[in-house]
Amino acid sequence: MNILVVLEDKSGSIHRMSQEAIAGAQQIGGECNLSIGILALGNNAPALAEQAAKYEATEVLSMENEHLNQYTADGYAAAVAQVIANENPQYVFFGHTYQIRDYVPRISVKLQRPFLNDVVSCSTNEGKPVFSKQAFNAKLLAGLHPQGSGPVLVSFQSATFSSDNIQNGTANVRSVTVEMDTGTIKTVPEEPFQEAAGGVDLSSADLIVAIGRGIGKEENIPMAQELAKVMGAEIASSRPVVDSDWLAPHHQIGSSGQTVAPKLYLALGISGAIQHVVGMKGSKNIVVVNKDPDAPIFELADYGVVGDMLEIVPKLTAALQE
Amino acid sequence: MSEREVLELDVLFVGAGPASLAGAIHLKQLLRESGQDASVAILEKASEVGAHSLSGAIVDPRALNELFPDKSVTDFPFEAEVAEEHLYYLTAAKKIPFPFVPPAMNHHNCFVTSLGKLTRWLGGICENEEVDIFCGFAGTELLYEGDRVIGVRTGDRGIDKNGQKKPQFEPGADIHAKVIILGEGTRGSLTKKLINRHDLMQGRNPQVWAVGVKELWRMSPGSVPQGYVAHTMGFPLGHNIFGGAFLYGMQNDIWDLGMVVGLDYKNPAVDAHHELQRLKNHPWLHSLLEGGEMIAYGAKSLPEGGWFSIPKLAVDGAMLIGDSAGFMNGQRLKGIHLSMKSGMLAAETIAEALSTDNFSAAQLADFELRVEKSWVKDELWKVRNFHQGFDNGLLAGLFNSGIGLLTGGRGWGFKNRISSESGHLKMEKKAERDRYNDLHFDGTYILDKVTDVYYSATAHEEDQVPHLHVRDQDVCTTTCAEEYGNPCTNFCPAGVYEMVPDGESQKLQINFSNCVHCKTCDIMDPYQIIDWVPPEGGDGPVWVNL
Amino acid sequence: MNICVLVKQVPGSDAHFAITADGAWIQEAELPFEMNESDNYALEEALQIREQNGDGEVVVVSLGPDRCQKTIREALAKGADRALHIKEEPPYHSDPYAIASAIANAIKAENFDLVLSGLQSDDLGFGQTGVILGELLGMTTATLVVGTEIQDGKIRVKRELEAGWFQWQTMELPASLAIQSGLNTPRYPSLKGIMTAKKKEIKTVSLAEVFADDNLQEFNGLSVQHVEKQTEMIEGSVDQVVNRLVDVFKNEIRIN
Repeated sequence: MNILVVLEDKSGSIHRMSQEAIAGAQQIGGECNLSIGILALGNNAPALAEQAAKYEATEVLSMENEHLNQYTADGYAAAVAQVIANENPQYVFFGHTYQIRDYVPRISVKLQRPFLNDVVSCSTNEGKPVFSKQAFNAKLLAGLHPQGSGPVLVSFQSATFSSDNIQNGTANVRSVTVEMDTGTIKTVPEEPFQEAAGGVDLSSADLIVAIGRGIGKEENIPMAQELAKVMGAEIASSRPVVDSDWLAPHHQIGSSGQTVAPKLYLALGISGAIQHVVGMKGSKNIVVVNKDPDAPIFELADYGVVGDMLEIVPKLTAALQE
Repeated sequence: MSEREVLELDVLFVGAGPASLAGAIHLKQLLRESGQDASVAILEKASEVGAHSLSGAIVDPRALNELFPDKSVTDFPFEAEVAEEHLYYLTAAKKIPFPFVPPAMNHHNCFVTSLGKLTRWLGGICENEEVDIFCGFAGTELLYEGDRVIGVRTGDRGIDKNGQKKPQFEPGADIHAKVIILGEGTRGSLTKKLINRHDLMQGRNPQVWAVGVKELWRMSPGSVPQGYVAHTMGFPLGHNIFGGAFLYGMQNDIWDLGMVVGLDYKNPAVDAHHELQRLKNHPWLHSLLEGGEMIAYGAKSLPEGGWFSIPKLAVDGAMLIGDSAGFMNGQRLKGIHLSMKSGMLAAETIAEALSTDNFSAAQLADFELRVEKSWVKDELWKVRNFHQGFDNGLLAGLFNSGIGLLTGGRGWGFKNRISSESGHLKMEKKAERDRYNDLHFDGTYILDKVTDVYYSATAHEEDQVPHLHVRDQDVCTTTCAEEYGNPCTNFCPAGVYEMVPDGESQKLQINFSNCVHCKTCDIMDPYQIIDWVPPEGGDGPVWVNL
Repeated sequence: MNICVLVKQVPGSDAHFAITADGAWIQEAELPFEMNESDNYALEEALQIREQNGDGEVVVVSLGPDRCQKTIREALAKGADRALHIKEEPPYHSDPYAIASAIANAIKAENFDLVLSGLQSDDLGFGQTGVILGELLGMTTATLVVGTEIQDGKIRVKRELEAGWFQWQTMELPASLAIQSGLNTPRYPSLKGIMTAKKKEIKTVSLAEVFADDNLQEFNGLSVQHVEKQTEMIEGSVDQVVNRLVDVFKNEIRIN
């Protein structure tokens, strides 16, 4: 195959970002005439491979090995590097997850090939894909140009491609094996666990409902929290809400708070002062509700409503619950 | 670390501005010449030297030449020699050149400079001279033994907004030194305390200040003439507010545009930031700045009182230099060379004091004598009544200044000293807000305060007690709201003070995180209930070349 | 236990960037520079490990031009013992592989037990350098480290996983850890720390002296991200607006 997409396991299902990588491979493969293979590995490999086989691809590789039953950077890097060396694709695609950050740079060393990570856009030039990533706190875009010959490792930022665009089909599943001795694994992982959210990492949230001065008073906060809950979103805010002590500081988005780029940023009663905007302007979809038609935040909006959030929010919550 | 660090030094300067830096360098030079040595350090509240330095500026190289006789002007980190100078009277639509530039106001052989760049350069030389510069440490208290100043205590770190110690609490350090030199700049906070405790203003005119507000504009390559200088009067301030605008051509295609507004105006609605925005509506500036991008904003007050507002300069164990003492020539709009020279003269006094191990007020009074005999006095004496003439409006001020040129600085041609009062006392209980009716904030050219503050890169540890101590906030909601309409919401160039709804009425909200450390509030509050104290060390603006 | 901390000097995060004419880098002239945020946490972690362990050195390594010295001094003032400055003048290498292999070459003789680096730099943000360096020097590696515990010749680290999940793992030494911001409270330098920093060693070598592998990827063509927004203004009664929003959420943005 020309493009090999490496899957990440999410409790027996293909991780959404791996799905996005497949969609990306299909799109780029179509534009540049490149065939696609998909690699499933780990103790859930067969289940993942079966799901992947329903996508439009040339083939699906399924790799099981006792050393891969638990994720370790040692094991995954060694195994995936071997597969890449054997299959020799032009590109290897990943979703840019925490796991990928952890092991793929090691593959870069093992194969002496570049890892173009956290790519946010891809264009085509003379039949070849050209990748870009953000730099300088996501203020600028830079082109990444692989040198030399051999496979190029690429990971995509969340929502660069949409899993909605995956084309279905049927692909052959083939088993692959790798050689790994026990000495390769020098890390012993324990069971993952959840911790009480002391400070939610808003930067990994997909959906955010953010409130600003327009919320009016503290008594109105639960209304926004209800909406967030129904949407499966995290609640966040601009500075004035935190300054009034209506929400804890870790909810603040902006230059003295967190920077986020979720799939959906719903800004309620936020005017769009530059201090706030720098923390959220990378959001993929920005929906704005504000009473003031001149609020600067409308310039960033994909969808805008000039209206009273206090009227709209309860009705929106009810409508979404249906 | 929860124990108070104690450091013993010989000489401690507070504030790494041009006065202290020049003073420390000169002191090391003098000690070397006489075969002595002493430990010399400078405390600086900013995270690095230059981060809190702001000025226009046009620098007279006189002090630098004296400090570095082996260097030439090309060695100094100036932007450009003044290449062309203009003085304009502006109306809302026109720009009328003065028929000639009065010699006292010309800037021949002077240099357009970024003070931040200059102080960083001086800081580098200090390091080479083995002067320790402690950045990120704010001097918050003077330490005394009886009436003698024996040291400075730096601010605590890690106190939350309710005044409680956080887990990472670190008490401030005590630095003991034989002599403390306060070079904190305009309206220094330790300076204020020293002046009050020792009544150093006795017999003097009260100090009067102005506030300077500026924006740096990056233009297309090659379009800014380096060394271009223009000063203006008239629009937008009119005839009853002291001040005017400056426009300097810097390196790297940058226009340096600013407004100086005297902090002795009558109308409590006056807002220096807004005046700068109004200025940009003038067609001349509009066409000049078109296509450019604002890259930095800042503000700082300046001492305008002149010679008769300079306090007594020494007490047992401590001295005042630079803007903290008020060494600025309002007519020339230059103070950096005077500040540096004051630091150098102080160094001479200190070198002698070190050799006799006597740091009493009597010994340190030698500094006053040196100032009297120096060109600092010569220069400031000639303009000793400059600012005071403007108490009667622009034309009177110009007349007074002009006549002063002929009479060696006599007020109105005959008075040795025009008395004056504090600027905040001039504020009248009648706000006229319509001066800003024509301002429309578009976010790219005419900028609101919140946007400008973003470009000052100012940041403060959020979880701390606000460093702007308003002693009685009830005054804000009642008396002040009625009498003056809360002028703090106007005169603060960073939007720190806001009156926000509080149930049926209003309350004062202090957005201390926006503070750019200009000290205007401490100066201009009509009730004098605002005390500016340093926030946690390292907090505040991060100016690069302001 | 000897610890190496990789520290990078980066432009201040709030700075306004202008791109050079050739699109290869940003104009540095008017920018403030500071220690990369996560590197500061890595340095603090190293200092704490050294304090708990009782012995060993903390050595700071920084690759960059002259202006780096300021950041190196800051690290020394906070308690690092000595430093290595790998000096590079523009045009800078930006490929994490080339950079990591040069650093690896420079430090391999020291046989550090631990290499700590910040998770990613605020300028280029590749986040690969620490991992590549670890692999080159035969170390175990871990990223998004939010906790460390030395245990009998090994190190147990807590890693952050997505969505509020965490995981501990025990790794053999030597190890290279990429540290996540927020795991500790970085100390301020004390006055004495600032004074003694001046006497600590900063060894300077040029990048050319330690350069090993050339760029595997080139980074250029810097441009400002253009956000061309076509705003759909939703009008009508509250009910109409709500209906359209539900439609947008469910069918266009697909929030489920």
